[in-house]
Amino acid sequence: MKRFLRSREALVTLLLVLLIGATGLFNPNFFKFDSIVEIFNASLTLVLISLGEMFVILTRGIDVSVGAIAGLSAVVLGTTLNLGWPVGFAVLAAVITGTLAGVFNAFGVTFLRVPPIIMTLGTLGIYRGLMRIITGGSWIENLPQNIKEPNLWGFLGVPFFVWVTLALLALTAYVTLRIRVARYFYAVGDNEQGAFLLGLPVRWTQFAAYTLAGSFAALAAVVFTSQIGFVSMNAADGFELKAIAANVLGGVSLTGGVGTPLGAAVGALFLTAVHSMLIFLGVPGIWDNAFAGAILLAVVYVDYRVRQALEVQRRQARIRGETHHQGGAP
Amino acid sequence: MNWTRYLRTWEFALAVLLVLEIVVLGVINPVFFNLENLLYSTLDFTHILFAALPLTLVIITAGIDISGVSIMGLASITLGLVWVAGVNVFVALAVALLVGVLAGAFNGVFVSRTDVNPLVITLGTLFMFAGLAQGMPALLDKLGFKAYGSAGLAAYQYEGITGLPESFIMLTEGTVGIVPYPFIAVLLFALVLSLLLHRTRFGRYLYLIGVNPKAAIYSGVPIRRVLVWAYVLSGFGAALAGVMLTSYFTSARADLGGDALLPIITAVVLGGADILGGSGTILGTLLAGMILGFLRQGLLAIGVTNDLIQVVVGGLLISAMAAKQLIHVYGEYRLKRWALSKKEGR
Amino acid sequence: MKIISGVYPLDAGVLELEGKSVRLDSPRSAHERGVYMVPQEPHVFPHLSVLENLGVGLSYPPAELRERVRPLLQDLGFDVNLDEQGAFLSIAQQQLLEIVRGLLRNVKVLIFDEPTSALTFKEADHLFERMRRLASQGMGIVFISHRMGEVMEVSNRISVLRDGEVVLSDFTENVSPHDLVRAMLPPDAAHAVDQEDDQRPAIRSPSRETTPVLEVSGLSSEAFSDASFSLRPGEVLGLAGLVGSGRTELCEAIVGLDDHARGTVRVRGQDLAQRSPALCRRHGLVYVPEDRHAHGIFLDLPSVYTITAGVLERLGGLFLDSNKEADLGRSFVDSLNIKLSSIWQTAGTLSGGNQQKVVLAGALATDPAVVLLDEPTRGIDASARQDVYRLIRSLTAAGVGVLLISSELEEVVDLSDRVLVMHRGRIVTELAGSDLTLENVTEASFGLLEEAS
Repeated sequence: MKRFLRSREALVTLLLVLLIGATGLFNPNFFKFDSIVEIFNASLTLVLISLGEMFVILTRGIDVSVGAIAGLSAVVLGTTLNLGWPVGFAVLAAVITGTLAGVFNAFGVTFLRVPPIIMTLGTLGIYRGLMRIITGGSWIENLPQNIKEPNLWGFLGVPFFVWVTLALLALTAYVTLRIRVARYFYAVGDNEQGAFLLGLPVRWTQFAAYTLAGSFAALAAVVFTSQIGFVSMNAADGFELKAIAANVLGGVSLTGGVGTPLGAAVGALFLTAVHSMLIFLGVPGIWDNAFAGAILLAVVYVDYRVRQALEVQRRQARIRGETHHQGGAP
Repeated sequence: MNWTRYLRTWEFALAVLLVLEIVVLGVINPVFFNLENLLYSTLDFTHILFAALPLTLVIITAGIDISGVSIMGLASITLGLVWVAGVNVFVALAVALLVGVLAGAFNGVFVSRTDVNPLVITLGTLFMFAGLAQGMPALLDKLGFKAYGSAGLAAYQYEGITGLPESFIMLTEGTVGIVPYPFIAVLLFALVLSLLLHRTRFGRYLYLIGVNPKAAIYSGVPIRRVLVWAYVLSGFGAALAGVMLTSYFTSARADLGGDALLPIITAVVLGGADILGGSGTILGTLLAGMILGFLRQGLLAIGVTNDLIQVVVGGLLISAMAAKQLIHVYGEYRLKRWALSKKEGR
Repeated sequence: MKIISGVYPLDAGVLELEGKSVRLDSPRSAHERGVYMVPQEPHVFPHLSVLENLGVGLSYPPAELRERVRPLLQDLGFDVNLDEQGAFLSIAQQQLLEIVRGLLRNVKVLIFDEPTSALTFKEADHLFERMRRLASQGMGIVFISHRMGEVMEVSNRISVLRDGEVVLSDFTENVSPHDLVRAMLPPDAAHAVDQEDDQRPAIRSPSRETTPVLEVSGLSSEAFSDASFSLRPGEVLGLAGLVGSGRTELCEAIVGLDDHARGTVRVRGQDLAQRSPALCRRHGLVYVPEDRHAHGIFLDLPSVYTITAGVLERLGGLFLDSNKEADLGRSFVDSLNIKLSSIWQTAGTLSGGNQQKVVLAGALATDPAVVLLDEPTRGIDASARQDVYRLIRSLTAAGVGVLLISSELEEVVDLSDRVLVMHRGRIVTELAGSDLTLENVTEASFGLLEEAS
């Protein structure tokens, strides 16, 4: 119970449920199945990008190029489709593009030792530039119908992509929780020196994180391209910052080693839901950013105060010599 | 007394690079040898300098402030709204700068009073300030105040609050001789910041905090107050940039400066500031910002697209940092070799 | 020990494990050969669960790991929730965690490097119990400590190392605590520090009537309790005790670095209630920290910056006067005999002794009335050491009160007018005059004098 209360996922989920409840009371239409599904559907891109970003943040890094990677992958997807490639190959090309973009980031951070924020800020410019160079700066429209189709598929009234994303989320959650090698992300971010002394491959773990961030951004590109049916030059613009915000909101700490895929997803869902809720509450959508920012700040502030309080408790407990019993009691 | 020392500094290398760059660009396109043209072209990147110069101070303390790009829009829209309310445009300008100062103070207080990563805090305020800038006009309009200016909502959405008085537009169009006002202003700003950083107690404290915050506390440095002021200056610089852009584009908009984050941070880092704190100079940032700005102008002039320029700038940032790291690693390697050979020699 | 555990390579000699000569080239290979060192500061992953902390670097699946861990925990009597976060382990539990890491690797030899230095005494007792139980099950244990009482308590055999040489090695029952103390001291201990100052002149002790420059009363915190003492102008008050006895924490509380400390501190009669290092400096109280790299010096900046960091307001009004700064810096370079090519030389490139002098200069630049010196001679060469001693004498001659902490007890005895001895977080004895001998200070530090008296 105590552990549950301590977890940020719980706090944000609670906040989300409360806000949804409040919005629903104000405007009962909000409770309709369709509106809820719509929110999920709209959040998919950010959820996927945030999941990839999570791996990087877990290892105590940061990647501000994921939005640009998504844009670049979308351009590759659109261009290859319009060249007449089958959907499968085009999607594969997009995912490979995203992954390679991630590998380049990984190479710079782990082997050239460029600080992550500098490396990915540089590639942010490079990937955004490349994406416009490929298309000559114009939007990619008139995509073949077959890329838009999956978006129309559904099961139990829930769109195909929502199922795919949920499946990916479940897979990531399972892997990061249960697979030993995936736990390296946590160990490396938590105590890099300790991980090294106990024999973990620290650099390759970081390498894998940036690569995964690229792959997930590419998957996000496939989803939103299918959803909207064209690729604009502003595709996924600013998503790098939103993905970081989603992670922080969902309890993935920038100091490394803390957070879960579920948290990252809930954070992303929350940021998207704010938009829909504001509309249902009759607040114009332009207030989105202000609310998102204020909530992010409020959450990190509350988190800071809670940690302070816990620290004071710990010190007092130690003075009283009760530390022996603390670990045993659940 | 020992002037050769200056020849080996990073700033000197940047200065040489800047001159070389202008010569090369000038050979390709003689327009660059026209001083008036050259100076006029600074208008396109002066706002980057306004924001990057004080950000250098923040980065020296091992902090970061990415909210500046939103403060630009916030300051711009504040200026527009206050002016629409019938206040003299220069009073409106002062209010806009004040808003920048307050926004910076908010960042500074949050950073210095908690242990939350400055990147997270300024990411939050980046969204918050941008949201305020976007939402304020709509809110005021709803309250019955004609916030969109005389041309109404449709025009506002397209081009922001327009119709600003000529005297305000002259702030960027005016020149002293052939030097545009904003360039003079940014040089003065750089001079003041440079004196502040390199000659005052406050500036010294910034370095001390960046190199070893614990030792700074033990030495009695008022660490919280110093941090707040660093972020205030950063907010003020961003507001100056916003005001300058407002005058340059002759309209007040919420989204001004939105794409400036990459060039701003590139200027500071290329200027020699270490993202981990403790080093950096105002002169370095100024020179690096000008190199980047002229590079952009030059490439545009010879027909390189904006997109390719972005790639070049990103590549430049990464290669500069990678080179710095390699030099560092090589230096350590040589030091180790030297120590070992000394041991074996005995 | 770092060689035995595979961190450093062997220079000469033979290392045998179970009768076979082995080469260890990494911590991993040491683990495989059956040696595990429990480091002084355990490697904990604060946000991983206890179970995962145990499993890092091992390839068991969680369920099997849990199965393997459970009997080990039971044997050790280590009562812990395996799903709890690493951050919530106390230092004692972190040490147990390291022991279990070793046991999971089926090692035959466990090395404990100063395991008790950060433990409370209750916690240390628990650790000893467990060590005995492991030993009885056939585990070889090396216990490194300079707490003599503990060594006597847990060991079967004792070796004393001094300056890299084994000077004593015998079964515990054949050794008395006093033998150990004697073995640890240099042969000519009494004359160790400074020949010319050997006969401590009694006149240096200030008269008892002068008002104290520093009065500490009832100061308590996590690491120490109820510390009270006073310091007079021109007096050197030694603060002796072992690492972990609470001396550094006491100093930090005095200058306001511990928000949770209770008690009062007066400087020149003025009560400093809401203390901060800055406020203390303004009132003439300055602390020279033990860990100079972490807390004292600005390594990447010119040396003079460290010297003037606390007195910048004296270097001119609006702008810093770099001539004044240089003069101030040079005056300390001369008076403390600091060796550098220029005061603008980067502090990180100076030798340890000169770095320490730069930090000292930074403290003295504030014209203090009281100086708290925490391990001022740690890790510096002999001549720099003499300079530090000279400095202490010139300070007292100028009427400054000095509180001197040092783990080198000879130093404390030779330099101090009075010595307070801390043990288990309490000031247990005050020694002065003819009672102030190396033997008494040493015994009190190890808690022996306390038990005797």
